Amino acid sequence: MRKNIYYSLLLSALVTVSVAEETRQVDKHEHGVGELNIAVEGNSIDLEFMIPGADIVGFEYKAKSEADIALVKDALIKFDEFNNIFSIPSASNCNLVEADISINQGDNHKDEHNHDEHDDHDEHEDDHDEHDDHDEHDDHDEHDDHDEHEDEHDHDDHGEHDDHDEHDEEAHNEFVAHYSFNCGNIKEIDRISFPYFTTFPNSGELEVQFVSEIGSTSFEVEGDEPFIDLKGKI
Amino acid sequence: MLLKLSFSSLYARLVTVGMTILAISVSLMLYMSVEKLRTSAYTSFTDTISQTDLIVGARASSVQLLLYSVFRIGNATNNITWESYLDLVSKEEVDWTVPISLGDSHKGFRVMGTNKEFFSRYKYRGNQSVSIDKGYLFEDLYDVVLGAGVAEKLGYKIGTSLVVSHGLKSFSDHDDQPFRVSGILKKTGTPVDNTVIVSLAAIEAIHVDWSTGAKIPGQLTPIDEIREMDLTPKNITAALVGVKSKLTIFQLQRWINEYPEEAMTAILPGAALQELWRVVGVIENLLLGISVVVIFTTLVGMAAIMFSSLSERRREMAIWRAMGASPFTVIGLLMLEAIFISILSITFSVVLLFCVLNLLQPWIDYNYGILVNIEMLAIKDMYVFALFIIASITVSLLPAIRAYWFSINDGMTIKL
Repeated sequence: MRKNIYYSLLLSALVTVSVAEETRQVDKHEHGVGELNIAVEGNSIDLEFMIPGADIVGFEYKAKSEADIALVKDALIKFDEFNNIFSIPSASNCNLVEADISINQGDNHKDEHNHDEHDDHDEHEDDHDEHDDHDEHDDHDEHDDHDEHEDEHDHDDHGEHDDHDEHDEEAHNEFVAHYSFNCGNIKEIDRISFPYFTTFPNSGELEVQFVSEIGSTSFEVEGDEPFIDLKGKI
Repeated sequence: MLLKLSFSSLYARLVTVGMTILAISVSLMLYMSVEKLRTSAYTSFTDTISQTDLIVGARASSVQLLLYSVFRIGNATNNITWESYLDLVSKEEVDWTVPISLGDSHKGFRVMGTNKEFFSRYKYRGNQSVSIDKGYLFEDLYDVVLGAGVAEKLGYKIGTSLVVSHGLKSFSDHDDQPFRVSGILKKTGTPVDNTVIVSLAAIEAIHVDWSTGAKIPGQLTPIDEIREMDLTPKNITAALVGVKSKLTIFQLQRWINEYPEEAMTAILPGAALQELWRVVGVIENLLLGISVVVIFTTLVGMAAIMFSSLSERRREMAIWRAMGASPFTVIGLLMLEAIFISILSITFSVVLLFCVLNLLQPWIDYNYGILVNIEMLAIKDMYVFALFIIASITVSLLPAIRAYWFSINDGMTIKL
């Protein structure tokens, strides 16, 4: 009997250890380095930016003050107009079919986070019964008028995303912008340039991963040469 | 007339001129071979893997994972569990996967465990797949397929029996379970040539009596018993993955990188290679820079030799002037000389280059798996040659002007 208890203790210890190990992973995060993934297939080109908050608004804590909230709002508006971020040769005849811009804390680990003004965290939709401290709700209105700029914004469900008890500490926020284009003449895309660097003066470099049917490649883009050469790569 | 004169004048100074030509050709050859090596290395690397969308392995730097799983160089990455691999296989974005297991060797050649799909899915140089030259792919548990290089270097034929060693350089062999060569692949010019390929089950089988890197003493499971065992691998080194749509690659990559049960990394082979090249590129540029400096040095050397020959050729010049040559003819003669020297050096350097490349090619291929393609000169080389000739003319201007100055003086007063 006693042996059994030992065994179960041992077992539970093992289980805890393994559970702990499973979840202790943290994503890389480097100020001054934004990521961009570009995928091309058929007539479609997808661009996906993941930029640390510091590169965009100069801070990575949650925006609390009026000024910070305004900065975030302003940044999101800039992302809405993709010409502020990148430009594709007009000869390629590309039309934006979908855009999805959000600011994201990128965490599924349970350290203490405070997600008061989180935008589209669809994963957290279960436990929002307690809408206690809605004082911070004001900033959601700003996100609402955001929807007018963009067709595909999912900034709609902010109401439910307050006060996630399991997250109480600050995370590094990250801007995520995803754009999909349909192009009449995709082969004409021989370069993509990035007004991004001038739009956001805090920005550092962009690490670009590119893939098409021809193969994959990568680039490091900086403000002094803000473009990538895609000749023969699409 | 002028040409003939200049040529015979050079001929008369065969030894000095010959040495100058040798020095210049060696420096040119150095430059060209650096250039050749770097372009060959790049194409050789980029041609090694194509049509594979992602390589998945344990958490590692993308370059390390690429080098180890595809080129089998550099430090080994950790393995990933078979469960995680199965999770990956079941992802809806995934079109196909090929598991790879590394770690053992045979006489210095890497042994790779994989499945038969490797032969149809692994593509190189655009869209070429590995094909069997002799024999057949593994049918039996103890069948082994050899890369062309392995078969050639070890002189193995179909039916040759071989033993796999544990680890890369170890004295412990899996000699209780000998393999038999069932097939030999055609030459591909990729690291596959230097690989011994067995089934994943075989890798599992030879480690039945092994535990944490050592043979369990006294334990020897009979082969018949092993054949009856469940030889599903417990872990693999990496997996090559093809996706259904390129547009989902990054989504799948993120899923893998954030996979909670195991720390894994997914890389885009081309992207990782480019990343590596950004590092290698610095060294390449350094090498190129050094060889350019060497060329410049030899050019200066050529000018120095011309200068020093001027004093011993004052008589010669004076005679030319006496024969009715204008001072400009003297300048022309010296510049012609420089052109001669540079053209001869270029020709000689090309000959030298091809000799050296032919000599080194097998060695580089054997040791580094880089196939240096010895092909005719590219247009880029022609530009370099043209630039070099212009540079040598410019450099020869200095002694030429001095000779011109001398010849005016010497024409009037001959000093003995």
